[in-house]
Amino acid sequence: MRDVVVESPRARTLVLDVPHWPGHRAGQHVDVRLTAEDGYQAQRSYSIASAPELDTLELTVELVADGEVSQYLVEELRAGDQLELRGPIGGHFTWAVTDGGPLLLLAGGSGLVPLMSMLRHRAARDSDVPARLLASVRGPEDGLYGAELEALEPRAGLQVAWTYTRTPPPGWDGWARRVDAQMLAELGPGPEARPLIFVCGATSFVEQVATLLVDAGHDPGAIHAERFGPTGG
Amino acid sequence: MTELYTDGNDAAGLLAEFLAADPTTTRRRCQSCHAENPLAAHRAYRGAGVVLRCPACGDVAVVIGECEGELVVEWRGAYRARRAR
Repeated sequence: MRDVVVESPRARTLVLDVPHWPGHRAGQHVDVRLTAEDGYQAQRSYSIASAPELDTLELTVELVADGEVSQYLVEELRAGDQLELRGPIGGHFTWAVTDGGPLLLLAGGSGLVPLMSMLRHRAARDSDVPARLLASVRGPEDGLYGAELEALEPRAGLQVAWTYTRTPPPGWDGWARRVDAQMLAELGPGPEARPLIFVCGATSFVEQVATLLVDAGHDPGAIHAERFGPTGG
Repeated sequence: MTELYTDGNDAAGLLAEFLAADPTTTRRRCQSCHAENPLAAHRAYRGAGVVLRCPACGDVAVVIGECEGELVVEWRGAYRARRAR
């Protein structure tokens, strides 16, 4: 590991040098395996946050309550330490600028990580594919990449929206509730634009949002989903 | 109960180890309800191994287990995989 970036009180980005890394596609993940001195092994999947164009591999890991792997990665791993990775993994939940758009990206909490890789890839390629991102977080301290998204947004065709489900920041006059049908209608693009849709987050978030999208008339085949389970790894 | 599962993306690393190719875009037609979905869209239940289930009807699609140092995979339904060459 080359470096650690503090993203939020509970999330760190691990910046990794991976010898012989074959390259990845935005949206893919890796399996991280930890082996204790007594041989006990634990493995979890983490989404790749960095663009394929970058020469380091970045994983953003959020601390999960009772998460033995995330706790080690967030609190104990130091620059210079070694990690065992398998990947890149996945071909369904991926996007490249050549796939076109428009893009509709919906993130619950740290489900933003693989979607950020897509937006970083889009920026690295100077793509003007229309893209909308809705990030649903409990409060501002759970929001990842806020400053970077703000800097990316003025680029042609990108719109970023946040909704705060528990504690909005002081003075916030935007959305402050769970994603619902009205929010998706206001966010757009609608089914008539035939967007490519990527939904990522806890399983309950993904099921809720996917159901709303299908009910709104979006093509179920255009909805790509990745579920983290109860809270993620 | 929706919290207890993930999806086929979660089993991709394990199956890729077996198939030497990404399995998530492989389409499966369910033997029970005939719904066709990519493996990525199947529900993944982790226990001693991993069980993938049809997102439409819940019937078992893939059972992945480890037995005496071997990875054992049982497939149910009809599969169509495509790969550039």
